Amino acid sequence: MKEIVFAGFGGQGVLTSGLIISEIAVNRGDNATWIPSYGSAMRGGTANCTVKYGRETIYNPAQEEPNLLLAMNEPSFQMFINIVAPGGIVLVSDIVNCDLNVRDDVKVVKVPSSAISQELGNPKGANVVMTGAIVKLMGDFSKEEALAGMERMFSKKGKNRFAEANVKAFEAGYAAV
Amino acid sequence: MAEMMKGNIAIAEAAVRAGVRLYAGYPITPSTEIMEYLSGRLPEVGGAFIQAESELAGINMVIGGASCGVRALTASSGPGISLKQEGISILSDEELSAVVINVVRYGNGLGTLYSSQCDYNRETRGGGNGDYRCIVLCPSSIQEAVEQISLAYELAEKYRVVSVLMTEGALGQMMEPVDLPDFVEPKRNPWGFDGKYTYKKIGIFDRDSMKESVLLKEKYAAIKENEQRWESEGVEDADYVFVSYGLPGRSTLGAVRQLRDEGFRVGLIRPITAWPFPEKAFAEINPGVKGIITVEANATGQLVDDAALAIKKNSSANIPAYALTYVYGVPPIKSIKADFKKILNGEIREVY
Repeated sequence: MKEIVFAGFGGQGVLTSGLIISEIAVNRGDNATWIPSYGSAMRGGTANCTVKYGRETIYNPAQEEPNLLLAMNEPSFQMFINIVAPGGIVLVSDIVNCDLNVRDDVKVVKVPSSAISQELGNPKGANVVMTGAIVKLMGDFSKEEALAGMERMFSKKGKNRFAEANVKAFEAGYAAV
Repeated sequence: MAEMMKGNIAIAEAAVRAGVRLYAGYPITPSTEIMEYLSGRLPEVGGAFIQAESELAGINMVIGGASCGVRALTASSGPGISLKQEGISILSDEELSAVVINVVRYGNGLGTLYSSQCDYNRETRGGGNGDYRCIVLCPSSIQEAVEQISLAYELAEKYRVVSVLMTEGALGQMMEPVDLPDFVEPKRNPWGFDGKYTYKKIGIFDRDSMKESVLLKEKYAAIKENEQRWESEGVEDADYVFVSYGLPGRSTLGAVRQLRDEGFRVGLIRPITAWPFPEKAFAEINPGVKGIITVEANATGQLVDDAALAIKKNSSANIPAYALTYVYGVPPIKSIKADFKKILNGEIREVY
């Protein structure tokens, strides 16, 4: 069973990124849970969700010890760096400029998700760029499985018209790590 | 294929499929998605959705729907459920069946938005005035929750009581794969008002409460006898038996299986009905058990009272009952395991 925490500013799409990963897992026949932090959050504040997936039963859907942390901003990095499992991965975006060398038992990977999404003319797609990077870093899903799951997730939400842009963003993130 | 669905949305759709045709209530986090979804969905199937001016109005509209024999629903959380207690007591007194969903959040008074199990005592004892109980179902997954909606109505109609679906904030907000139940053809209960004055009017001073009490006692005894539901694992040879429901129950199952793998003889009873409490599950416990341990998302320990009474009923030995209380959220598996070891080495003392 794998655990990923997706964290960033509200509006950066971290909850959606988590949804894509959970849909990829379920679409392939795995179990998955997605659980957000909810409640007294506000636009511009921090948001996060936890996804667990795997063939086995998922007992506790809540945050425990993530194998990967996606930190789309500095507060998220600070808040969750210490709960990452030893040997885990911390994926940070290019807007995170604090000192990243605070633990020597985790691997920190920086992907310029904002720059990449700007270049693609899809500035809101930084979360999908990171989703592509996560799929590659976790190594649990093939690119084809991942793209099929992502397409299914967006078509259920009626967002097919962004399919091409999303695939491009995903591919760019996948290639960036 | 099972689809990823949010707990509250899946529960709301399951209610439509169970034949619910009236929803009346007032929004409150973390239950609001239930009514938000039904506001659009119920009119599609010819049902009525009413955003009431208050929780009191909502539960009274449910009394109206239930009086007409319609499957009526309300949902809320924390203080919202407190406001509905008078109506739940009236439904119970009039022997009208209805379902109330409590998406439990933590705290006294206005409380907080955290997921919790702090309303266990209120739901299982009946929070309104009088001498009634509600049947309380407590799901530990979204799949179990959607299956319990129709069960909640079947039981409510069989015994003419109120059923409470006691979920948790986190279960309402999370997503996991779920297979929705099939549609049930909605039907009006035959005892509902039919627009004709066929009932004898009975005033408050005409009632024979002594006579009614005999039937009341029989009814609740029958529910207690027939409707206990639970899931258990590894209790027959256990040195310690955990008792936990809902999402903490699910986390505890993970802890129990890991502890078993590490050589500890532990078991789990997961109540599926919080009332009637599954006392019968305790008859299957190893007579030489050294203790029972509740795992609860509240501060003071509530489930432990029922667990201690149930072990007392089933064993003459004075078996200690411990409570691991995690206040709110879902306790991590590793915390449950660590606290179990504190019980073994005497750092955590029994409650009873």
